[in-house]
Amino acid sequence: MKKKVLAVLLTAAMAVSLTACGANGGSNSKDGSGSSDTQTQESDRDASDGAENSEEGENGSEDSKGQGDAGGKEFNPDKAEDAMSIEEIREKNGAEVPVEADWKLGVVMKSLSNEFWRTLQEGYEAAAEDAGLTIDIQATTDESDETGQQTMTEALTTQGVDALLMSPISDSNLTSAVESANDADVLTVNVNDGLIAEANHYVGPNAYMNGQLAAEWISNKLGDEGQVAIVVGMAKAFAARERTEGFKDWIADNNSKMEIVAEQNADWDRQKSKELANTWITQYPELKAIFCNNDDMALGVVEAVEESGSDILVVGVDGIGEAYDSIRAGKLDATVDSFPFYMAQVAVECTLRSIAGQKLPSAVATPQALIDSENVDKDAAEIINWTAPAYTK
Amino acid sequence: MKAIGTKYKREILVFLATVILGVVFTALNPNFLMWRTMLTIFQQMVLNGLLAVGIMFAILTGGIDLSIGCTFAIVGIAVANCCVKGMNPFLAILAGLLVGVVLGMFNGFLVTNLKLQPFIATLGTMSLYRGVAYVVTGGAPVTNVPDSFRNIFNGQLPGGIRYYVIVMIAVFVIAHIILSKTRTGDYLYAVGGNEEAAKLSGVNVAKTKYIAYIVSGACTAVAGLVMLASLGSAEATAGIGYETNAIAAAAIGGTSMAGGRGTALGTFFGALLLAVLKVGMVVINVDSFWQYVVTGLIIIAASYFEFMKGDIAAFTARHKKERSM
Repeated sequence: MKKKVLAVLLTAAMAVSLTACGANGGSNSKDGSGSSDTQTQESDRDASDGAENSEEGENGSEDSKGQGDAGGKEFNPDKAEDAMSIEEIREKNGAEVPVEADWKLGVVMKSLSNEFWRTLQEGYEAAAEDAGLTIDIQATTDESDETGQQTMTEALTTQGVDALLMSPISDSNLTSAVESANDADVLTVNVNDGLIAEANHYVGPNAYMNGQLAAEWISNKLGDEGQVAIVVGMAKAFAARERTEGFKDWIADNNSKMEIVAEQNADWDRQKSKELANTWITQYPELKAIFCNNDDMALGVVEAVEESGSDILVVGVDGIGEAYDSIRAGKLDATVDSFPFYMAQVAVECTLRSIAGQKLPSAVATPQALIDSENVDKDAAEIINWTAPAYTK
Repeated sequence: MKAIGTKYKREILVFLATVILGVVFTALNPNFLMWRTMLTIFQQMVLNGLLAVGIMFAILTGGIDLSIGCTFAIVGIAVANCCVKGMNPFLAILAGLLVGVVLGMFNGFLVTNLKLQPFIATLGTMSLYRGVAYVVTGGAPVTNVPDSFRNIFNGQLPGGIRYYVIVMIAVFVIAHIILSKTRTGDYLYAVGGNEEAAKLSGVNVAKTKYIAYIVSGACTAVAGLVMLASLGSAEATAGIGYETNAIAAAAIGGTSMAGGRGTALGTFFGALLLAVLKVGMVVINVDSFWQYVVTGLIIIAASYFEFMKGDIAAFTARHKKERSM
């Protein structure tokens, strides 16, 4: 009996000490003055130092990748030195995109329940029609069927496609499928996240830039001061890490007077992000802006802000249709759009160029732009200055 | 007074644990004790509380309802579509409740008529219902739910208390009355405690189980309505993983996973404790990943306590017996 009571007490003590430890780690940003403030800055600096170090490591592996090696696990397309935009590629290799009618492309995507991926699919279909090619598009129903996606990829390789364009669910679930595709001389292209270090090319928006654009916009609107908070998505996702880091680095690098008072995960879930924002609004009456890792979470935060009647700026990432509607309605303030429709076209164009033997960089950055009430009704092609690829058969 | 103390021992202990947790958070950040934070806590326990009280009914009969997160999504989508197409909001609410009842009834059918194990049956409907949600919406969210619907739940009483908090309390009160004052309540405990004995003493086991799953579906439907009012849009992906939190709330509140034991009040405090934890962790600005760690520890500690309590009871009973001999 005594032992049991002791066990319960120990468990309780453990739980309390856990909370206490965690609190020490997080509480320095809570009171924004005095010694704890310098602590925050120091830890921020430490963090960015760490990032720089790992950046060097990534560049190292990047070089080896350029030479056709399998590439290191630390591959980070946002920091790839040879990264190019599609305009630069067209300038270097000529505007004409070579196409052979019997080239077959296979596409593997995830979760068509997400508008972002549906739009990407439409982009692929449009590109296939323009180029007069067959593209076999496969997608999982949700964002957790990792093995299902692997099976799809392997099946496409077996069917004998010339190239695979893949948007994997995690950074690792397609690794073995890509290795066997590489062995079978199928060109492998990684489109958007997650990341496949072993793929021949990466085509997608610079997620780090997403965060930078958002931070810059918020800074302009707030006169570069005030409290801001960040809602992150699941931290295993590359995009979540890069967007958050881009946002924080912009504030640190520009000596911004904006102060990040809170940062929490909301699992990409709208309800959870709303609840998070509810709590923040009661805790930080001076909060001026909330940056969210995607639009879904931003739309949840918008509901909390509307309910509270405060005028906190809310910025998301992705540019889904609902976000555009919300911006038009004057609720959401801005979103960073990665234009999946055009991303797919860039991906197809790069794939075709690479099949034809043109030398392409390991990473291709696709167009992105910040959308707010001023350009929300503008044509996307105009915003990103899009010229359709010139396919030649 | 002493009678209440022994009858609701578990509930009082969970409440005390919640208070202690609150004191710890307040010590770490005095802001925790604001009225607005309290309101936030109550608002944020609503969804989990409603789901937990529903799933508790299924657990009481010795079953489980894993499909609640998906029923939650379907109800949201159904009601959102009704509202957007201009249906009277109150009719839409009735339609939503009906959807919840029907989906719950189907679970009941699988468990009683087809004699499937509840875990497997609702694991099946979990995938089935989620699939239906995807198919119906084509994956796209249903948006622009009119304010005429949203205000029914989102409106505020003086002091900032939202109507949906009142709705949740009403559901808990009804659940408490069903469980403690009606014959149906007795049957639910009897079926969960010992199904054979209940059957032999004339309890309609099949009907009782149907009721449990229907209540689970109905409570989930109410949660779906609250979610829809709160967000103004419904998605097929809503509610993924919510069943685990609901089970946790019920378990912390003293619901036995073997069935036959558990109260509405206990589940209420279980959900309250989890909400205090959730809001508190944000208030003291701890990385949310720690929430999972702490929640896990609390569930383990709570069920260990449950196990220990049985031991103590056996010990005292033996002791008494020895003395009387």
